[in-house]
Amino acid sequence: MHPVRILVVEDERTLAQVLESALRADGYDVVRAPTGEDGFFRATAEAFDLVLLDLMLPGRNGLEILQALRQRQVDTPVLILTARDGIDDRVHGLDVGADDYLVKPFALPELLARIRALLRRGRPAEIGQLKAADLELDMMARRVTRGGRHVDLTTREFELLAYLLRHQGHVVSREMLAHDVWKEPRRATPIDNVIDVQVARLRRKVDAEGRLRLIHTVRGVGFVLREGEP
Amino acid sequence: MNLPWAATSIRVRLIGWYALVLTVMMVVYAAATFVAVRHEFLEQLDERLHDEFEAAEGRLTRTADGRMTWSAEERHHGEGEATIYEVWSASGEQIHRSGAAAPLPPAALAATSSSYRYETVVANGERWRSLAAPVAIGGHNVVLRVSRSEERVRQELSEVLIVLVLGLPLVVALAGVGGYLLAGRALAPIDHLATEATRITAERLHERLKVPNQHDEIGRLTAVINGTIGRLESSFDQLRRFTADSSHELRTPLAVVRNIGEAAVAERRSADEYQEAIGSMLEEVDRMSTLVDTLLRLSHGDAGTIRLRREPADLGELARDVVASLSVLAEERQQTIVCEITSGVVISVDRLVIREAVTNVLDNAIKYSPHGATITIGVERHGDLASVTTSDEGPGIPDEHRERIFHRFFRLDEARSRDAGGTGLGLAIAKWAVETHRGRISVHARPGGGSEFRIELPVESS
Repeated sequence: MHPVRILVVEDERTLAQVLESALRADGYDVVRAPTGEDGFFRATAEAFDLVLLDLMLPGRNGLEILQALRQRQVDTPVLILTARDGIDDRVHGLDVGADDYLVKPFALPELLARIRALLRRGRPAEIGQLKAADLELDMMARRVTRGGRHVDLTTREFELLAYLLRHQGHVVSREMLAHDVWKEPRRATPIDNVIDVQVARLRRKVDAEGRLRLIHTVRGVGFVLREGEP
Repeated sequence: MNLPWAATSIRVRLIGWYALVLTVMMVVYAAATFVAVRHEFLEQLDERLHDEFEAAEGRLTRTADGRMTWSAEERHHGEGEATIYEVWSASGEQIHRSGAAAPLPPAALAATSSSYRYETVVANGERWRSLAAPVAIGGHNVVLRVSRSEERVRQELSEVLIVLVLGLPLVVALAGVGGYLLAGRALAPIDHLATEATRITAERLHERLKVPNQHDEIGRLTAVINGTIGRLESSFDQLRRFTADSSHELRTPLAVVRNIGEAAVAERRSADEYQEAIGSMLEEVDRMSTLVDTLLRLSHGDAGTIRLRREPADLGELARDVVASLSVLAEERQQTIVCEITSGVVISVDRLVIREAVTNVLDNAIKYSPHGATITIGVERHGDLASVTTSDEGPGIPDEHRERIFHRFFRLDEARSRDAGGTGLGLAIAKWAVETHRGRISVHARPGGGSEFRIELPVESS
């Protein structure tokens, strides 16, 4: 299997560099395009698995490029990055053929999660068993065991654990939890506090005395479920 | 097409109307005067004719040969040529004629008629007024006619007319000038007011216009303008404070990020220490992002660019939903949340916006109530108002802060709420959310201590 290739069309150098190094760290092959023309040229000439497209570019803006790509039947998944937080922009971007969008400033874990989701698309969702070390979660039976012993969880705790397990090894931000687990349209301080409390409780139940710690807090970023130290 | 007219000053328009009305009144007055004077003059002429007629009747005698003559020395009677006396026989012949001037047309009076008859006759282009009546002189029935020229009367009348016609524009002009000056005096305070008001700019909103006399129109206008300036001033103050506070709130995390970074690179450290430093910086950045998001939303709200997606929502369900999501926070503090919810309070609102308001208020109640406290959330309907109330066992809010607690960045306890991760905008957001639904949010002291926050929303029939 060839490494996944991602085209990053971003004019701001610092951000482009950060994105490149974060994506490479996750095992992706990255090509950078500093202008809209360059991005369009590469996207039509080479094969990519995904395109990260900034909307505000010098020369041709992201929406125009996206439109042109779709007209040429280039159906590579496109994730839009925009600083504009207007609902119209989003809807317009999705209308023109974007697959997803993220509003700047975004958290890297979230970007990585969205990329994973886009790349996974089309493949059947893994349901059933989720595992990490001696932790097992059965989606169908809604049952959790640690080292064979049953762990009693509330509904919310179960969903939270399932989410962490699904993103095993990847950091999830509070933003992602608020949106995907709590179904809150907007992250706000009260929800942040709720998330912190719930994660602490979950950790108390799952990582009980004497067990290997699985749920870690990554300060300033979010949480990660992984075997061994983060 | 009255643009040129509308473009002139009030003063000129005032005078225009004034002159027009005055002219109409003066014309009517002059016409009435002329008619009255003319009537009076002609009446006098007729009276005089009558007097002379009677005098002539007494002095006229009949001679033996059937001629008429005046009794002796009174023949010319002083009046001279101005009066013409004529005597006509019953058959229509002129028997006697005295006085100057041209002959008049024959009197068409039937001798048998007994009444006095006044008429105006024209002879050689001159108008004569005459009085004719049958009289018996020495046993004979004759007709006596006395005539006087109308020319003098007409002369006088035309003089009166000239005075009136020439005087009218003069009076109007004089009144116009006087009115213009008076209007200028009356309107001068308005010009002054305009000049003064121009002086008051955004930078000088603390200034007020002087009220010369608070009881007259200008005084009231000045008071109204002062009121507007006052409201502007308080909006500007609020805006200024908000801008200053926002900058301050953003500077604090920025300073923290900077200092942590500076300290971290000052000397070589272990990977763990770097990770710790970067983590702290990210936390601050996160805080800043939340703050900027919230500020942006508030400014969208201020600008009125947030469109509400109203749909019928059960307030009780919404409250229970909020309680469910925040209950872990209360549990951590061994607090109990009691729901006193009337079911079926359904109103048309933007669910997410109202939910956020209720969340912020309940979060506040949890944060400020002590461990083990009981927090009550109630949903009720009173007539046209639906209300959500939260009662806490917190320290309560001093009277003087009741209103300010909803202001942006207002914190009762600076250190404490910052530690709790608050942005100082929670209640401001709640206030905006409620007011954009044309509702009201208020805080009251509870008799037993603590506060009660009350959100009231109008139940609309739609």
